[in-house]
Amino acid sequence: MARLGKSLLPGVALSALLVLLLAPAAHAVPFAPEEARSPNAEDTTTVYWVMLVVAVAIVAVVNLALIATVARFRARRGREPARIHAGRRIQPRATTLLALLAAAVFAVGVVSTVRVRDVEPSGPRGLEAASARTAQLDLQPPAGEREPLRILASGQQWLWRYEYPNGTFSYYELVAPVDTTVLLQLDSTDVVHRWWVPELGGKFDAVPGRSNGTWFRAEREGVYEGRSAVFSGPGYATMRARVRVVSVPEYGAWLEQQSADIQDAQEAVQEQVQ
Amino acid sequence: MSAPPPTSLAPSRPEIVTERYPQRRPAWIELATSGDHKAVGVLYLGAALSFLALAVVELVLMRVQLIVPESTIVSPDIFDQLLSAYGATAVVLFGIPAALGLISYIVPLQIGARGTTFPRLGALSFWLYLAGGVTLYASFLYRPPDAGVNPLPPLSDTVFSPTAGVDAWIAGVGLAVLGFTLFAVNMLATLHTRRAPGLVWRRLPLFSWSATVSGYVLMVAGPVMLAACTMLLIDRQFAGVFFDAGEGGSPILWQHLSWLFFTGAYLVILLAAFGAISEILPTFSGKPPFSHRAIAASLVAVGALGLLAWMQNMYTAPIPVGWTFFAMAAAVALTVPIGLLLFNWIATLWGGALRLRAPLLFALGAISTVSFGLAGELTYSVIPVGWQLDSTTAAQADTYYALVGAAVFGGFAALHYWFPKITGRTMGEGLARASFWALLVGVHGMAIPMTLAGLEGQPVDVYKYYEGGALGTYNLIASIGSFVLAVGILLTLANAAYSARRGVVAGPDPWGGTTLEWFASSPPPPHNFDVIPDVRSAEPLRDIRESIRRRTETWEPPPPLERPEPASDPATAEAKPSTSRE
Repeated sequence: MARLGKSLLPGVALSALLVLLLAPAAHAVPFAPEEARSPNAEDTTTVYWVMLVVAVAIVAVVNLALIATVARFRARRGREPARIHAGRRIQPRATTLLALLAAAVFAVGVVSTVRVRDVEPSGPRGLEAASARTAQLDLQPPAGEREPLRILASGQQWLWRYEYPNGTFSYYELVAPVDTTVLLQLDSTDVVHRWWVPELGGKFDAVPGRSNGTWFRAEREGVYEGRSAVFSGPGYATMRARVRVVSVPEYGAWLEQQSADIQDAQEAVQEQVQ
Repeated sequence: MSAPPPTSLAPSRPEIVTERYPQRRPAWIELATSGDHKAVGVLYLGAALSFLALAVVELVLMRVQLIVPESTIVSPDIFDQLLSAYGATAVVLFGIPAALGLISYIVPLQIGARGTTFPRLGALSFWLYLAGGVTLYASFLYRPPDAGVNPLPPLSDTVFSPTAGVDAWIAGVGLAVLGFTLFAVNMLATLHTRRAPGLVWRRLPLFSWSATVSGYVLMVAGPVMLAACTMLLIDRQFAGVFFDAGEGGSPILWQHLSWLFFTGAYLVILLAAFGAISEILPTFSGKPPFSHRAIAASLVAVGALGLLAWMQNMYTAPIPVGWTFFAMAAAVALTVPIGLLLFNWIATLWGGALRLRAPLLFALGAISTVSFGLAGELTYSVIPVGWQLDSTTAAQADTYYALVGAAVFGGFAALHYWFPKITGRTMGEGLARASFWALLVGVHGMAIPMTLAGLEGQPVDVYKYYEGGALGTYNLIASIGSFVLAVGILLTLANAAYSARRGVVAGPDPWGGTTLEWFASSPPPPHNFDVIPDVRSAEPLRDIRESIRRRTETWEPPPPLERPEPASDPATAEAKPSTSRE
């Protein structure tokens, strides 16, 4: 058994070296997720890199060991297969090692999940929100901090409708102030949809009759493109989610304009009806 | 009969050995109506490989559509129909039945049984599965299903899918799953009651161990899916409200039930491949498994922990975060048994004399490809990574790694390994090598760019994507990769079709195996064994060879018989002279 360990050692060392060499290179371009623009997305990116290194290490160790073993033990004239059986202690040792790896990954998973779900308060440039809507979410900012902006995203075949605290609404595009914590409550009026803007964190389901949600705090102004990510019928591929992040004054102006536009449109409809 | 039983070289009484029985009816009627596990296995394998060819065609059509952004080659309607049929075909009509076909053919032989416990149940299970497949594909004559790979309510309810397509999906999948469940009943009963004398569980061959675990997984997952399909059918046809949130039902319930089944299906495919790999590696390295007991225990743990991880597919659903922790714990715990399997496999090869024939080549490809898939699986089981990358092409690429690794590489390894037993002929080595390399290039050529596209945010199941970043390039390469993969699959299917009639004739034991299926002739007679040997270890055929070798080495001519002095009878006196040889 000791002999087996000794002969495996160079392979393991080589693959560990390879991982160390490849890990920074991987950071450069390939296998990088979309750049994070919100604290929850940043935490997600961090844990993604940790897990990518673990995964690459596992793949490298397994495949290098496999290739090395096959190269070394090809059948040749005069080679008799050795009848090796496992010693009494090797399996418990391997199990312990693997259990430690599993426990470490689980710990990383729990810590990162808690961090990502930890709603951070709005930043100094952000909006001082006075929230009217009380969302039924188990995501909440710490008490005593500034109120987050609560927006309801409602999925329908095949677009998103966003409702703002003052009752204004918009279709297709969510307009949000920069540096402001947005609590996004998700629901659906028809089938299951999945809201996702990669730069602003993970995806969550909008299920009819169930409350779900996520949060983000966009760090920079700009337009962030996302997609709906669960099959929802013929128009599913065209169902995009877009977030336009603007400065706080711009947001206020847009909100007023949007309210006025909606009111005008409703009055016009009323007139036509009468 | 190839070799005599180990206990005595000369049978104590005369035996009638019959290799072939005269057939009374045409061969296809014999095959279709037989309850013999070998006939059922051949039918399962034939049907599964035919559905594999269909799945390959559907995959290629979908990848053609995705070559360029906003492509219009395949219309959205057709794409959604292909997608819905492809999901059911790849998993329910190919993956599971391919595993069950091998199990049906090989396991009774491996355990030294002359048949299964409930032969007609085995035959019924095949015909239910085939009826399911025909029901699903018959819908292409009127209106195929179009509600996605997993038809989630409310989308699959009559309000949003008013056509009969989803009903065809429910009936097709339901019938097939009913068949699989009955199959599991029969196979578990056989495994528990029909093992040869001395074949206690600790000596059970590893493929039979994986069949046992698969059987129990199907006994859990099958009825759950049957219940789910029945509820959806009631919702659609009889105004039920099981999944209707507006009436107090829950759409999430379908997700729990269907994901439990799809997780079980995934496990059955993985376990069958793991079992086959665990047979092939010892045979082709000339060594026993590094630890028979550790591999068997790991297979059991994979089945048990894997089923508990069904909510790993539901991280984004509105379920309490504590439940997702439970799913993550089960998924991450799988690292231990899967890691042990990988370790024991490599240790089995270590110190051996490896004959790199087609079965070993495909088995090595399976280990390598599955290692990519399962390392990725570990990554995606970490909740925030799952939130970010589930239901993107990155996660899909990972599923391809695991399923192509297990079902295609592992399945083809098993096919090449047991093909001589089933047909009496060996599959061509040259085509096998060509197929192997095409599969290896194809799976990476498809999965790596899909991973990169997923990281740029391409979701799954879309009939088109928009220009942006390098998405066009990634999808082009992925499509080319999928075509190469398709060529690799078709090469092996062609090889099997050709070799079944023209392959090199194989004896009962072409590879020098150590388990009992190699004790029977190739193909085995209907009753499998004329004599069922006593099993003394996990390698009964090796014991038989050893005992023959020992007896041949130490054999000496028997001493002359002590006979009474010849009587005066002339007839006895004439027979005598030849006996004295000293």
